[in-house]
Amino acid sequence: MSAFRSRDLSSPWRHVDYVLLGVTLLVATFGLVMVFGASRHFSAAGSFVGKQAVFMVLGLAIMVGLALIDYRRIADWWLAIYGGSLILLAGVLTPLGSLGDWGTKGWYVVGPVAFQPVEIAKLATVVAVAGYLGASRRVDLLRLGGALFLLALPMGLTLLQPDLGSSLVFILMGVGMLVVGGVSLRYLVILALVGFLGVFGILRSDTLDQYQKDRLTASFNPEGVSAKARYNVEQAQIAISSGGLTGYGFGKGPSTRLGYVPAQRTDFIFTVAGEEFGFLGAGSLLALYSVMTWRIWRVAQLARDKTGTLLSVGVMSMLLFHIFENVGMNLGIMPITGIPLPLVSQGGSSVVASCAALGLVQSVHMHRYA
Amino acid sequence: MQMDTNSSQIRLSAVGVVAISLFLTLFLRLWFLQGIDRKQFEAVSESNRLRVIHEEAPRGRILDRNGKVLVDNKTSVVVSLDREPLRKMEEEDRHELFVRIADTLNSLAVPVKVNLIEKRFNDTRYAPQDSVPIAENVDDTVEIYLTERADKFPGVIVDRKAIRTYPYGSTAVHLLGYVGQINDRELAARGGSDATADKDGSTTSSTTTTSTPGASPRLDYRPGDTIGKSGVEQANEDDLRGIPGQRTIEVNARGDLVDVVKVDPPKQGNDVWLTVDVDLQAHAERLLESKLFALRGGRDKQGNRLNVPQGSVVIEDPSNGQIRAMVSYPDYDPASLVNGISQDRWEAFNDPNSGLPLVNWAIGGTYAPGSTFKLFGAYAGLHNGFLTGANAVINDNGVYKIENCKGGKCTRQNAGRNRYGRVNLPRSLTVSSDVYYYRLADKLWNLRGQYGETPIQDAAVAFGLGAKTGIPLVGENVGRIPTPTARREAYEARPELFETGGWGSGDNINMSIGQGDVLVTPLQIVNAYSAFANGGTLYQPQVVTKVTRSEDPTADVTEDGNTELVRTVETKVRATVPFEGDHWGEIFQGLLGVTQVKGGTAYASWHETPTAWPMAGKTGTAQVKGKADTALFVAWGPAVPGIPPEYTIGVVIPEAGFGGTVSAPLAFRIMQPLSEGQLPPACPVADTTACDLAAMAAFEAAKADAARGSRD
Repeated sequence: MSAFRSRDLSSPWRHVDYVLLGVTLLVATFGLVMVFGASRHFSAAGSFVGKQAVFMVLGLAIMVGLALIDYRRIADWWLAIYGGSLILLAGVLTPLGSLGDWGTKGWYVVGPVAFQPVEIAKLATVVAVAGYLGASRRVDLLRLGGALFLLALPMGLTLLQPDLGSSLVFILMGVGMLVVGGVSLRYLVILALVGFLGVFGILRSDTLDQYQKDRLTASFNPEGVSAKARYNVEQAQIAISSGGLTGYGFGKGPSTRLGYVPAQRTDFIFTVAGEEFGFLGAGSLLALYSVMTWRIWRVAQLARDKTGTLLSVGVMSMLLFHIFENVGMNLGIMPITGIPLPLVSQGGSSVVASCAALGLVQSVHMHRYA
Repeated sequence: MQMDTNSSQIRLSAVGVVAISLFLTLFLRLWFLQGIDRKQFEAVSESNRLRVIHEEAPRGRILDRNGKVLVDNKTSVVVSLDREPLRKMEEEDRHELFVRIADTLNSLAVPVKVNLIEKRFNDTRYAPQDSVPIAENVDDTVEIYLTERADKFPGVIVDRKAIRTYPYGSTAVHLLGYVGQINDRELAARGGSDATADKDGSTTSSTTTTSTPGASPRLDYRPGDTIGKSGVEQANEDDLRGIPGQRTIEVNARGDLVDVVKVDPPKQGNDVWLTVDVDLQAHAERLLESKLFALRGGRDKQGNRLNVPQGSVVIEDPSNGQIRAMVSYPDYDPASLVNGISQDRWEAFNDPNSGLPLVNWAIGGTYAPGSTFKLFGAYAGLHNGFLTGANAVINDNGVYKIENCKGGKCTRQNAGRNRYGRVNLPRSLTVSSDVYYYRLADKLWNLRGQYGETPIQDAAVAFGLGAKTGIPLVGENVGRIPTPTARREAYEARPELFETGGWGSGDNINMSIGQGDVLVTPLQIVNAYSAFANGGTLYQPQVVTKVTRSEDPTADVTEDGNTELVRTVETKVRATVPFEGDHWGEIFQGLLGVTQVKGGTAYASWHETPTAWPMAGKTGTAQVKGKADTALFVAWGPAVPGIPPEYTIGVVIPEAGFGGTVSAPLAFRIMQPLSEGQLPPACPVADTTACDLAAMAAFEAAKADAARGSRD
């Protein structure tokens, strides 16, 4: 581990992924502007943007910190990290936790700051699975079972909140990491079948509340869902579509400005981009995310070991699912779940967690020769 | 190891492909929404946040012939509900809000009931996006109170709208008519918005409607709009109605007004100029009303009570058919109807004991014309050549014996059993000899092979009786001129209803003195006499001279450059009545004698209140079974050969007594100041003291007239 201005060619400082860093900063800036745009018509606009900026700075600091630490050291500590996140995740179900926007008991509220432990748990689970699977070359049935257990535990706790959207993230993260982690094709096919049957069974059973089923099926069955869910989907599409090619201009989108789109600072913030900046703006944001995803994929490819690859793939799967689900929900092709848009949706936990995830990826990139 | 790396690389590539396809999906969907479906969603977005508020334009004014404003507008404060945000409220909260609104309005002395608010809120006659009125014509203090506390009353709008005001009160009310809220039938007839067709507003999301504010056709009439219900307000609706304005406002998700996007100001309707002179109208109304009050409660010689339920005065210009005054009594105050008619009031208006004030009796009432009908017998007898030689002069000993009479009542007498001695045609009219016309009708019926069955009826029809005059007002009655054919047809259609389908000398005789089944409206008989007075031209009566547009509707119409002519109303000739030889002169002489020759039936009353120029005319006293007589008088002046007549006046008062003692004096009282050019100006309601004095003077004069006696 070297000091600043090292002449060592393998020094981490020489291998910062500047493209990833640049894209991260651009998306974060875009996000701040969007939060301002979405909240400028509320009296507390300043405090929303101010808080978001503070979390952004905090998140970037954590990102830099994590990038500087060798990811292998972090992976060595996976059990502690994972265990800590599970405790936090379980604690939220006790009277210490609070209810959030969508009726999920997933928050700790301390004074003016609300903290959502599932955001940390997702990343911790990525670290845990990467550390666990990265430790051995081959993935036998036992190790697969272990990995599934690592995924299932936080996912189960999240379902108890009940936060359906976030628990789906664990599945998608798991799929990405298990596929790349070398699980044999046979097991993967069996897992996929079990998964499909499971989803079908859950939808048929009473495990989920009606509103959750409604939200999940909104884009496939618009007639059968509640008026509120349909209203959200419709308003988001109206706002985005009427933005057209270039949008109404910053702060001028009627649907968002007049409050027709619900949760527009958080889950539906993409509508603000779509309505006010049009296809050029919203498309640019998507393009930035594409570049971000490509760079993370590239890091996974360049990683010096399996742990690094799995860390990157885990983060990529997590972010990709967040982006696709959130934007897809805004565009009316995915069901409504309370999943934030990384680095853009207002919300401290999400911002900090996304930054930390990108910090880990940078660490994998920076330490590939070290 | 090598295998492992390869497999790992392939799998990573697969993940990359999945990522690429997911992003492609998002891009495609984004493009689909923003690039292809944009128009459609933009329209929905607009209908979401834009409300088009229909602003009714003030109606045009109604002016008298000299430009005096008879019907004007004033601003009224209206409290209404914007229902869009209210629909999103919970049922209980909404009810609680309605109770609060009603409570507040009541505490501000505006009586509004909660169930009225509920009813209006659920009224499907209004389009879902339209606001509904809950209180009209409220005080400024209510407006200030509500606008200052707008946040406490979501959905409550305080707006201003123009309502009708009547500077001369109830003067000419039947001619002017009243206005009211358009009803479903009128709305349908005028192709207004069918609010029931698009009432889906009950859902929380209004995005299901695909219509946009701009795309819906701009309809003239909407529920709640004002429309003329009677008189000129109704007849000239298209002139008076202004062009509605539209205010497009932007509202947020809670329904609060955020911005006014576009304003199309309403344009006031056109001004309608009447043929009527308000001074003459008010003068005639005052005198008629006083006369009726003076008569009421008395009895005639037969002991019939003088109920005098109604009365009419019509004054027409015989040179063009323009109505100078048209009075119908009882009247009502049109200002009391601008906020709608309550059920109680409507029932009172339709109670026969009230005299039916909404009816314009001058055009809608039908009465037996009595001796005023003799003009047509005289014309018929002269025109067909019967009244020549020996037939032209009779000896009137007060009784006429019907020829070919078999049994029953074969003699008829003059009214009051008067004997007039030697009577020629002019004298028959001057003294109103019934015997002269009994003989005429009897002979003509017996000679029907030569003169036809209906020479007298044909004459009456030639003067416009038995048909609508065509005055452009709703509610005109057609009257009735009985004929043998009509009677036979009526009998054949419903034999159980009639004693006989036959027609005989008795029927002809009754008809010749304006009795039997003969019925005329006051306007018909006036218009017929006008046709005689002007030498035979039958005009269609007019009430409007022209329609103008004012640059500044608040300014005086007589101001230079303020008004622009839209159209003028042409004089319309319906028919011409031919006169041969000196037929016109003979009849004229007789009718002039009525007022000018001693023994004339209106001689005494004319001399009591002489006009500046002589008048010619005819009294009539029509008997109505079981009731006091109908008193009629029709006359014109100046009745001077070579000088064109200017006014024809008709006074018709049922259950009142003799034409010569009731109607003729009233007619001369009306005509005297007019003929002398000293008509007192009508006083606006703002100047009641002067009006009351004039009314008292008129009342005293009427009482004096009523006390005096005269013959028919």
